[in-house]
Amino acid sequence: MTANKMNMREKYQRMTRDLAWKPTYQKEDDVYPQAKYEGIIIHDWDKWEDPFRLTVDAYWKYQAEKERKLYAIIEAFAQNNAQLNVTDARYINALKLFLTGVTPLEYAAHRGFAMAGRNFPGAGAQVSSQFQSIDELRHAQTQIHTISHYNKYFNGFHDFNHMHQRVWYLSVPKSFFEDAMSAGPFEFVTAVSFSFEYVLTNLLFMPFMSGAAFNDDMATVTFGFSAQSDESRHMTLGLEIIKFMLEQDERNVPIVQKWIDKWFWRGYRLLALVSMMMDYMLPKRVMSWQEAWEMYFEQNGGALFDDLARYGIRMPKYWEVSVKEKSRLSHEVWSIFYNYGHAAAIHTWLPKASEMDWLSEKYPETFDKYYRPRFDHWAEHKEKNGRWYNNTLPMLCQCCQIPMGFTEPDDPTTICYRESEYNGVKYHFCSDGCKDIFDDEPEKYVQAWLPVHQIYQGNCGGASVPEVLEWYHLKHGQDNLDYDDSQDKANWNKWKGLTEEAAQVMKKAANE
Amino acid sequence: MTYQLEIEPLGEAVDLAEEQTLLDAALRQGIYLPHACLHGLCGTCKVQVVEGEIEHGDASPFALMDFERDEGMALACCATALSDVVIEADVEEDPDAIRQPIEDFKATVVELNTLTPTAVAVFLELDKDIEFQAGKYINLHLPDLDQPRAFSLANAPSNGRIIELNIRRVPGGQATGYIHDQLKVGDELKLSGPYGRFFVRKSSPDPVLFLAGGTGLSSPKSMILDLLEAGDDREITLVYGQRNGAELYYHDLFTELAEKHSNFTYVPALSEPAADDNWEGATGFVHDVAKAHFGGMFAGRKAYLCGPPPMIDACLTALMRGRLFERDIYMEKFITAADAAQGLKRSPLFKGV
Repeated sequence: MTANKMNMREKYQRMTRDLAWKPTYQKEDDVYPQAKYEGIIIHDWDKWEDPFRLTVDAYWKYQAEKERKLYAIIEAFAQNNAQLNVTDARYINALKLFLTGVTPLEYAAHRGFAMAGRNFPGAGAQVSSQFQSIDELRHAQTQIHTISHYNKYFNGFHDFNHMHQRVWYLSVPKSFFEDAMSAGPFEFVTAVSFSFEYVLTNLLFMPFMSGAAFNDDMATVTFGFSAQSDESRHMTLGLEIIKFMLEQDERNVPIVQKWIDKWFWRGYRLLALVSMMMDYMLPKRVMSWQEAWEMYFEQNGGALFDDLARYGIRMPKYWEVSVKEKSRLSHEVWSIFYNYGHAAAIHTWLPKASEMDWLSEKYPETFDKYYRPRFDHWAEHKEKNGRWYNNTLPMLCQCCQIPMGFTEPDDPTTICYRESEYNGVKYHFCSDGCKDIFDDEPEKYVQAWLPVHQIYQGNCGGASVPEVLEWYHLKHGQDNLDYDDSQDKANWNKWKGLTEEAAQVMKKAANE
Repeated sequence: MTYQLEIEPLGEAVDLAEEQTLLDAALRQGIYLPHACLHGLCGTCKVQVVEGEIEHGDASPFALMDFERDEGMALACCATALSDVVIEADVEEDPDAIRQPIEDFKATVVELNTLTPTAVAVFLELDKDIEFQAGKYINLHLPDLDQPRAFSLANAPSNGRIIELNIRRVPGGQATGYIHDQLKVGDELKLSGPYGRFFVRKSSPDPVLFLAGGTGLSSPKSMILDLLEAGDDREITLVYGQRNGAELYYHDLFTELAEKHSNFTYVPALSEPAADDNWEGATGFVHDVAKAHFGGMFAGRKAYLCGPPPMIDACLTALMRGRLFERDIYMEKFITAADAAQGLKRSPLFKGV
């Protein structure tokens, strides 16, 4: 090493922070109008430690090569009709849920980080946010390309952006992100980078990526690798923002704690969709939701909160409720989707006997006692009276927007109802966690766009399921209903040479 | 086959076994390199290979790009060496670190001094002067033991010929048992050093705080003697804890130093004073006594920690609650092989503490 060569740190310093300047023509508060109103006090932005010392120049090179590699694989996947290699077409429904639920969030994250980067007065935070903003745009584009490929062969992918604005269960991820984006820059980054990408991301990524690998979806696996190399940068940004706020001023501690409480619960409720994906939607299962929650939240998250305790931060409020719910969450959520499978853009189904045995084994305390009888009952109903669909619209939680199907923390047989009154109007919640979030900022959540309320108010094309489906741009008999009665299944059987079975299903589908 | 791994800009060199990853070798020697996933996916541990040849192992093509491979980058968590290797890692060069060559010494026991019922001071005369920064340690080879044992140097660096080690008997411990029961004046031993990255950051003008407990006194003793000898006039505080009066070795030395130097404050603490100690000083654990002494506020200082793990843990919490954070806290950190292997079990929130 020669003495005059800059080391990595110096190089980074020259190429990023040294390019920043203090405004003189305008007051700093006018240039960064959102920097203070959340109550976070920052004394010295130079104490921000850049987790990844990445310059713009290097960033472009990296991303360009990632794109080249990823698209080469996606192209090969398409040319080889590799969608035919997945375990079975039920797996595609996990992809539908992920790609229609998450792709718009990637785009929202792109916008959110652009806004956060614009509003942070420190160069280090600006640069990290800017890179992440561009990463998220890349992820959104990649996923849209994937949607485009699967859309050629399977139903439910055809209008993801329109669906994101309207479909009832897609309002769950949508409202999560809009909540974060309409907060200030510090809360936004705490919500997305720390609570979601750091504390909870493994629970989203792991089932999705390993699930893809287990079910022979190599395009998704490659996308996962490509995204994970960005994801680690995002996670470190999440850790740095938290450390930075906590170290800058003692008065930040209670504000950060409140955000951690809120965004843990918001994120956990959002992951309820992932729980059913893990336990019910992957034909070949990776691990159960309960096992994942134990490993990624209780153990890894526990280690993190042990360290955070040094700053005076405690475990997020109601984390113990999440532990009590871990043996029921996926079953309750899949049951909700089974009820409303006629109004969804994914197919639902009853687990096969072997799958129920797997669930019994993974959930020895709860599955046989509470959930197997329910599936047996629905199977019997299907046999005698046809597939059961619930035509009464469910009550939604004002905060997380999930139908109120969760049970009391200490009683898996009683639905949990909570309510608050605000300005003479009563609002309903699925849990204490959601109620607390509302009570803290009622003015924000009274504005929530709740799909069921909107239907009843006449804003969604009509009051009947077919009318609403039309308004959602979903085709009855194609995009919705039971997997057994779906075109997806019929096509799959045809492609795989299972013609006789295909003919039967086609006939059945035609009668619908 | 063993290779050598040199880590720039630190100038530290460590041994590298065949098939051992660069990261593993560095961590085992207490040299922190940034890392996260530990299996080649995230790219956090990217380093520049300046000299030598490496094998990339399982580095993901998305975490280590082709152009980076061409430019000689590697992922330390997967890369293994095919020759001696020099890497440049994203770690900070400490302006107060002094590069001192590690040498082998022949040592003769010149004095054994019982400090307490459980601790002994061993004075060793070396065959040549050892040059060391206060706070560093040596590896002592004992007869019939395969592995050398690490002991911090307790004397000031101004005396490089006769060194002092303070050694407490570990129940059932082979090495400390040997030293307590069999070692005698005139015995000859081998040692090597100096090792470690624990030293006083003299370039910072901030007041310093030493928190020591158990046999953790050695390094702080050496550091304090070094500062005071040099006429350093910054505020220096030592909070030093033992169980009872009989264990509170070098109490008189520090009491005297505090009388002689107005910038040095000595705060002894006993956690369980015996009746015949007639103890009038502070009672309690080091972290609690320090909290009481400073009114719970530590911001603006540099803290040096030395002692058993539970003490370190409690002190870290007390310091951070008192608004003193990682960048101002120093400790001798030994990362064991087990820690490195379980990298994911500990949260990556803190790097150096």
